[in-house]
Amino acid sequence: MDLSINMQKAHAQTRRHFFGQAGMGFGAIALQQLMAKNGLAADGEAFRIPAKAKSIIYLHMAGSPSQLELFENKPALTKFHGKDCPKEYLEGKRFAFIKGTPKMLGPVFDYKQHGESGQWVSELLPGLSSIIDDVCIIRSMHTDQFNHSPAQLLLHTGNPLLGYPSMGSWVTYGLGSENENLPGFVVLASGGKTPSAGKSLWGSGFLPTLYQGVQCRTDGGDPILYLSDPKGLSRKARRKTLDALKDLNEYQHRHVGDPETLTRISQYELAFRMQVSVPGVMDLSKEPEHILKLYGARPGHVSKAESAADPRRLYKGNDATFANNCLLARRLVENGVRFVQLYDWGWDHHGSSLGESIDETLPIKCQQVDRAIAGLITDLKQRGLFEQTLIVWGGEFGRTPMMQNNVNSVLKKGFYGRDHHPHAFTMWMAGGGIKPGAYGSTDDIGYYIAENPVGIRDLQTTILHQIGLNPHRFNFPYQGLNQRLIGPTEEGKVIKAILS
Amino acid sequence: MGHPKTKKIRRLLTGSLFVVLANPVVSFAGGKISFNRDVRPILSANCFSCHGPDKKARKAKLRLDTREGALFDLGGYHALQPGKADKSELILRIEADDPDDLMPPADSGRKLTNEDRRILREWINAGGEYETHWSLIPPVKAHLPEVHQKDWPLHPLDQFVLGQLEQNTLAPAPDADRYRWIRRVSLDLTGLPPTPGVADAFVADKDKDAYEKVVDRLLASTAYGEHWARMWLDLARYADTKGYEKDRHRDIWIFRDWVIDAFNRDMPYDRFTIEQLAGDLLPDPTPEQLVATAFHRNTMSNDEGGTDNEEFRVAAVKDRVDLTVQVWMGLTMGCAKCHSHKYDAITTDEYYRFYAYFNQTEDNDHPNDSPTYRVTPRETRVKRDALKKELAGLEKTGEVKLPELLAWLKEKKIPGEKWPVFSPVKAVSKNGSTLAILDDKSVLASGKSAQTDEYTLHGTLPAGTYHTLRLDALTHPSLGSRNGPGRNQKDPNFVLNELSIEHIPAGSATPRQLKIRTALADFEQKSWPVNGAFDGNPKTGWAISPRFGADHLARFTLDAPLQIKEGDRLRISLSQQYGSQLCLGRIRLSAGHPGTENWNLADLQTAMLSSILGEPLNPSRRQLAAQLQTDGDSNTASLRQRIATLKAEISKIDKTSTTVPVMREKPAGKQRVTRIHQRGNFLNPGKAVQHRLPGLFAAPANLPTNRLGVARWLMAPENPLTARVMVNRVWARLFGVGIVETEEDFGSQGLMPSHPELLDWLAVDLIEGEWSVKHLLRAITLSRTYRQDSKILPGHLDKDPRNRLLGRGPRFRLPAEVVRDQSLAASGLLTRKLGGPSVMPPQPPGIWKSTYSGEDWKTASGPDRYRRGLYTYLKRTSPHPALITFDGGSGEVCQIRRIRTNTPLQALITLNDETYLEAAGAMARLMKKSSEKLEQQIAFGFRQILIRPAEPFELERLIRVYHELTPEITDKAAFLSSAKLKEGDPSMVALASILLNLDETLMKP
Repeated sequence: MDLSINMQKAHAQTRRHFFGQAGMGFGAIALQQLMAKNGLAADGEAFRIPAKAKSIIYLHMAGSPSQLELFENKPALTKFHGKDCPKEYLEGKRFAFIKGTPKMLGPVFDYKQHGESGQWVSELLPGLSSIIDDVCIIRSMHTDQFNHSPAQLLLHTGNPLLGYPSMGSWVTYGLGSENENLPGFVVLASGGKTPSAGKSLWGSGFLPTLYQGVQCRTDGGDPILYLSDPKGLSRKARRKTLDALKDLNEYQHRHVGDPETLTRISQYELAFRMQVSVPGVMDLSKEPEHILKLYGARPGHVSKAESAADPRRLYKGNDATFANNCLLARRLVENGVRFVQLYDWGWDHHGSSLGESIDETLPIKCQQVDRAIAGLITDLKQRGLFEQTLIVWGGEFGRTPMMQNNVNSVLKKGFYGRDHHPHAFTMWMAGGGIKPGAYGSTDDIGYYIAENPVGIRDLQTTILHQIGLNPHRFNFPYQGLNQRLIGPTEEGKVIKAILS
Repeated sequence: MGHPKTKKIRRLLTGSLFVVLANPVVSFAGGKISFNRDVRPILSANCFSCHGPDKKARKAKLRLDTREGALFDLGGYHALQPGKADKSELILRIEADDPDDLMPPADSGRKLTNEDRRILREWINAGGEYETHWSLIPPVKAHLPEVHQKDWPLHPLDQFVLGQLEQNTLAPAPDADRYRWIRRVSLDLTGLPPTPGVADAFVADKDKDAYEKVVDRLLASTAYGEHWARMWLDLARYADTKGYEKDRHRDIWIFRDWVIDAFNRDMPYDRFTIEQLAGDLLPDPTPEQLVATAFHRNTMSNDEGGTDNEEFRVAAVKDRVDLTVQVWMGLTMGCAKCHSHKYDAITTDEYYRFYAYFNQTEDNDHPNDSPTYRVTPRETRVKRDALKKELAGLEKTGEVKLPELLAWLKEKKIPGEKWPVFSPVKAVSKNGSTLAILDDKSVLASGKSAQTDEYTLHGTLPAGTYHTLRLDALTHPSLGSRNGPGRNQKDPNFVLNELSIEHIPAGSATPRQLKIRTALADFEQKSWPVNGAFDGNPKTGWAISPRFGADHLARFTLDAPLQIKEGDRLRISLSQQYGSQLCLGRIRLSAGHPGTENWNLADLQTAMLSSILGEPLNPSRRQLAAQLQTDGDSNTASLRQRIATLKAEISKIDKTSTTVPVMREKPAGKQRVTRIHQRGNFLNPGKAVQHRLPGLFAAPANLPTNRLGVARWLMAPENPLTARVMVNRVWARLFGVGIVETEEDFGSQGLMPSHPELLDWLAVDLIEGEWSVKHLLRAITLSRTYRQDSKILPGHLDKDPRNRLLGRGPRFRLPAEVVRDQSLAASGLLTRKLGGPSVMPPQPPGIWKSTYSGEDWKTASGPDRYRRGLYTYLKRTSPHPALITFDGGSGEVCQIRRIRTNTPLQALITLNDETYLEAAGAMARLMKKSSEKLEQQIAFGFRQILIRPAEPFELERLIRVYHELTPEITDKAAFLSSAKLKEGDPSMVALASILLNLDETLMKP
């Protein structure tokens, strides 16, 4: 009797401690501790601001799609097509692969205006075109990294070097998760490879590992590593083992009195619940036919490209892997997951080898994602989740208005390519308090930004702002500095013009 | 505020689900304000970012990090008026009602508490004195404090701990029982549990020094070095791949083995430091000293296409600079890359002056990781040296005296008539070499040495029937210091691409091409066999590298017998098209009568040697002759066999050699000019700077101006930080939290030590103990403080939730590797092999999907499946999920301390990961074998993992669940096979899995 009263007390204490005050998500207590150290109000006010979005779905096209074939209608570039690139665009510039004087490459696909807003979108994105009035296109993005791995790291961790916490880790660290049976930061990958910078892109850096992204796998294995009980062990048997563990651990707690033991008990129970809740939320077969159709999703679909040594040659337009991930993303945010990060690999269209061209591969990649993305936005809207979900789409940099010339110096079918271009590229955002429309523009050939430049820091600042964290104050003391996602300087600004 | 004077007690849970950052509830005695303890943390956290050392960031020209700055005349008033808080601007501003005047400004997000204001006020009223930051004051051994409980301390360190406990009216915990203590100390010193037998012996040991014996035995085991190496490898950001996009494999495991070995030998920390930072700069460095320098070659390199090598070289050098200061001195210098440090007095200028020391190594982010060094592991190298010595001795015994040799050769002389020599009458070089026909009918090339060439020889043979043609490629003193046989003096190889033999019968003008059927050569370079010399392919051919300086031969067997009549001529051409002057230097041709196609190599070589008897018997010829002679002598057969065995063993050992990237200094005159990178950007170089050490303390004179100087500077007795940082690090591994909790920051932003005098005492003791880490560990693990029971006594949780006062034993979750190793050890699966290349234990399929690298995780099936976690292959972009989930690092950056978490994903691993299931299976098998009785089997298993005997409740509960499980495990075969068993008791396997998942199992007791 005594034991159970003590246990209840201890439990209550633990829960109050961990699950925190009303209104704070699972995990936000860490924030509280942090502020206590910094002498700030312990209620989190200093870092928290009113949130426009409750969750984030970030769609990263790893490798970086060509903005010139998707969003940048540039008649002037068409005019210069095939001509030598003027010197002023080359002098003092560093390129990854371009050598000497490359030729200009006009947009390869046709553009039309869409929606009431009359946005120019390429023929490769009919789905997105149909919902274009829901998104805000930013054509004036720029970065200072022009290799994949550092550029991806800068974008997602705020630092081009490895070892810093990812945006999703920061956000879950600051806000926790709304569902204590699911991880707060979920990563879904498609395209057959992980992005260049690998798992560091969802690592927690110097933040506790609790906040690292949990990669959910959709290749037929466990959706979360080690989630399945060993073969032959029934759920009932698992329950029996956990009951014994619980009794023995409670006995241990009674003798030693370490609250950590109670945490362990609760983590084992949470693991047990996750064994049910995760496969449940990951099970697309529960979705009705019309929803599957909306995304182009196919439950149980496992693409051959996902396990190929070079998946690019196996890409098919009707591959449902990314569509499945989009549908999963909706199910996850619906269930309170804070940050869903999608990576789709295979967008690095240099045109220097088979399966990576603008003219042949890019259309296939667009088919894989376009309907799914339009479906995702439509579905979020019809469920009333759109306004509380921030959707971000883009690559890590853009692609050059010149054709890449290090392998093929003349245009060859199946080998149209563009090099990495950090000076101007396109991203779009939607939902979560973002005002639909367009922001920023580039010069006639899409080389430089003409107006309203948006840097990576601005993007990060805006994302934190929308999710309800003060981007400037939200920090973690490490190595003598109050580390922030947006870096040590104040260059990052909220892009106020795109907020509704 | 999080500094140690916090009064409010928070019910924080140590190392729990949510990491508790800081909130030590240590209260220090005395009401007197101390600048370092009380005032500096307030100023540093709230004021220094605008009023600190960084000139560019400084507002209102006011700096508060020095007294001089605070006393500066601001125009009739001063921030600090000693003794007069009411007249000090600082106080007026922090107490201002007007938000425009208030400091810190509202938009800074910083806010002072009333307590902070009270402290600042009191400090100024008491005179407003500054102190040097505590960590920059050299440590001294303070007098031991007076304590009441005089029989408690066993070691001076206990006295400091007890003193503080008593001040806080807490009593230390009683000693832990011996079972728990021996499990604790074994896990701490070796990362492995004791066996129950060893524990029983200790419990029964009535000797006064029973504890000492345990600690000494553990410190002497090789497992000690393996366990403590892990701590160091975290700091060294050790990994088996290079990082970034490609993240390709890197051979650097021998550095890991060096660290293990250094700990096992208890290499003094100063030597340990110097060898890693500057082993290459020591006089006549040993192979180990060169391997040690791989410490700083653990930096990442970017092999992604199109990357700028200089950019990533610079990133690596900066990483070395930052890490060096961080690891040895607990200071962060990294911020000064871009701006002068806002909190600690390190300027950008100083940063790049220090950077200059590290900016002189040859490595430059090249994909081949150069410079690298090839080395054989020390143990095997020692063995190889012994074998080589024996071999040399045997070869000497077998050596034949010259006169005997000559006599033998003469006697053995193969009948000359079997091999008539081809007599050239004309020798022509296509590309301008001079071909001279010597008296012995050999042809010697000299003069111009063309890249490629073709020699054509016209000549005759005595009449007769011939089945073979022998080409001798001979050495000659005119062919350079190695005597050829090729013409390129630096690479005296040759490549004979095609040999053509034409027969021109007397009176005829039409040559007839002879076909070659087979050939035999005395030696063939890999991929360059003699068969290539007559296959019609001009790209293939015969070459002999690396056997230079020796005569070689090839016998070509003709497809059909060659009949030579009087007056017939032969035209023989030798095409050599490889390039690089790889052409023959001296050749002689002879033709063999029938039967010579069956001669063995030894006879052919004897024939060749006999034909050059008139020439000096140079070492290679002498060796060949000796070998031919002993080969023919049956008495020496066993000797030869031994020699062959030795040679094979030596070559086997040579194959265990590995390469490792090392540090190598650029030669004088080629050193780089170091420039300041403006705003940290290497593309934006500023003024050039010379190397200079940061002026943190008075450096010893006459330090070399290179990395060796840096290493000596770090270990100089004047350095107030190095010993403290190391002591603190070791302490933190044993007690869960350092005496300075912020192990990574001993600067003004870091936390104050909980026991400053204890830290200093141990630091001085480490230096006095000649930097012996074992000495330090021995002292701590034998202390009374360490021996305490970890049970939380009533009242303690409230007064000291995080055990910062050390009034109980340490209890926290085991590190990732230990969680694994313990399960494998308890179940008897653990493979105890020291060192070697990293291994791949099971991990779920599909984890490795890195871009491009194409490298696979090949799960080990043999003993390597069960090696210690330390040896698990670490790919930076994709570390083993079980290790990383338990807070292990990825090796991407220096990991000063692992922040412990407690998550459901960890539970899933120890419940469901193959490794733990196999351990449960093996343990169940041991349990079933241990006794006939269920109860005893379970009691046995309990002790295998927890060492102590189970209590009745525990035993009963386990027996109950065993019976409950039996009907529930329906598919017994499937469950057994997931534990890698073919047969057995599935309920016992599930029960063993429970044992591996107990809270007590995962925690240090």
